[in-house]
Amino acid sequence: MAEPISILDLVVDASPLVQFVMVLLALASVVSWVLIFQRWFALNRVRREIDDFEDEFWSGIDLNQLKTDLEAEEHLTGIESVFRAGFDEYQRLATQPDTDPDAVMQNVQRAMRVAVTREEERLGRHLPFLATVGSTSPYIGLFGTVWGIMNSFRSLSGMTQATLTAVAPGISEALVATAMGLFAAIPAVIGYNRFQSRVEILMRRHEAFADELASILHRVAHTAPAGS
Amino acid sequence: MREYAVPLVLALLLHAGVAAALVQNWERAPEQPRQVRAPSIEAKLLVMERPQAPPMPSAQAAPPPQPKPATPPPKPKPAPPPPPKPRQEPDAEAERRAEEERRRAERERKLRALDEESTFSSLEEEAAAMELNASERAAMSHMQAIRLAIIRAWSRPPSARNGMQARLQIMLAPTGELLSVALLDSSGNAAFDRSTEQAVRRVRRFEVPDDRRLFEAEFRRFTMLFRPEDLLR
Repeated sequence: MAEPISILDLVVDASPLVQFVMVLLALASVVSWVLIFQRWFALNRVRREIDDFEDEFWSGIDLNQLKTDLEAEEHLTGIESVFRAGFDEYQRLATQPDTDPDAVMQNVQRAMRVAVTREEERLGRHLPFLATVGSTSPYIGLFGTVWGIMNSFRSLSGMTQATLTAVAPGISEALVATAMGLFAAIPAVIGYNRFQSRVEILMRRHEAFADELASILHRVAHTAPAGS
Repeated sequence: MREYAVPLVLALLLHAGVAAALVQNWERAPEQPRQVRAPSIEAKLLVMERPQAPPMPSAQAAPPPQPKPATPPPKPKPAPPPPPKPRQEPDAEAERRAEEERRRAERERKLRALDEESTFSSLEEEAAAMELNASERAAMSHMQAIRLAIIRAWSRPPSARNGMQARLQIMLAPTGELLSVALLDSSGNAAFDRSTEQAVRRVRRFEVPDDRRLFEAEFRRFTMLFRPEDLLR
């Protein structure tokens, strides 16, 4: 039995188009893994930040005190910016005379919704790329494979005797492209699904927090209509 | 951008690891098929022959008593019937039978002796051969490998029939490359002859022993017999 061809030879001897496909897929795989790791760290960090902030928020601290604490920080995390958007808006409106508490609350909620939406956009960044890699790289790999097999059969037509050894290397080399496509796609799909659900969970926590803050401010606005 | 540095390093490490594992696995894979081919020499006839040798003498001892009791009965028989007339016939018949019996016993004994001698001599020969033929066995295993390679490359024509045989002379270079192949005895079927030659040509490169003397003796030029029936199995 002849020695099996090494996989390196397969890649090196592949036709230019198949090689291009392979390079593309390798690149897609590397980039999607970079994003997977990056998202992993980022989402973990956001969750930790929410935990920390909620602990602080529910520890009974005075909201004005909390706000001044936050102003000292130069970098606001997601949930902190939601808090600040809502509380700033409330303070700005509540200090003005003759404002309707319901109108104040509407504005506060709108401000917080904007902050939450902005945060959602920040959390879900790069996920579309993972989705794209996950759904297209099998097709790209398949394209390389089809092209490679096409070529190997075309070269076969010039021979008088069709032997398996004449086609096998071409097909084997072409299949490497599909393998690489799957290799790039599977982690991307898994990562996309997992991160998508985690982003959703985090968004729900943001929204829940925004509602809680709104209800607190609502209570304050209605029990002290005279303003501070 | 700094937040991407660590993920980038991790991703590159992961891909490098995967690539390295892939390449190494591919290097290790070819070891297995080579092991499969090794047990192609079966020179274990000796083991089968030895247990057979001892029963031979005992079998020889057993039969002789048989003819002896067989001969007496005919003798008493002719004694009582002397009065009757047909005296000569049974007597002659008995004698003839006894004669036959004796001859058969003798022939058997001779045959057995011959047989024994031959088994013993073949045993000795084989023992001697076992000691001598380390190089021969290497040659046999190589020859077997060559035969397998050719058989694998051989596609028999549909017109091949049992009983056909073609003899090819094959000449190899010391590197195992095929120098020439020539038909010595045709099978009578041109397609069959051509298919055998093509099979040899298709292998192109044969595995030959590194031992130069062995190569010159056995592989420089050898003949190979092609029969379709031993391949249809």
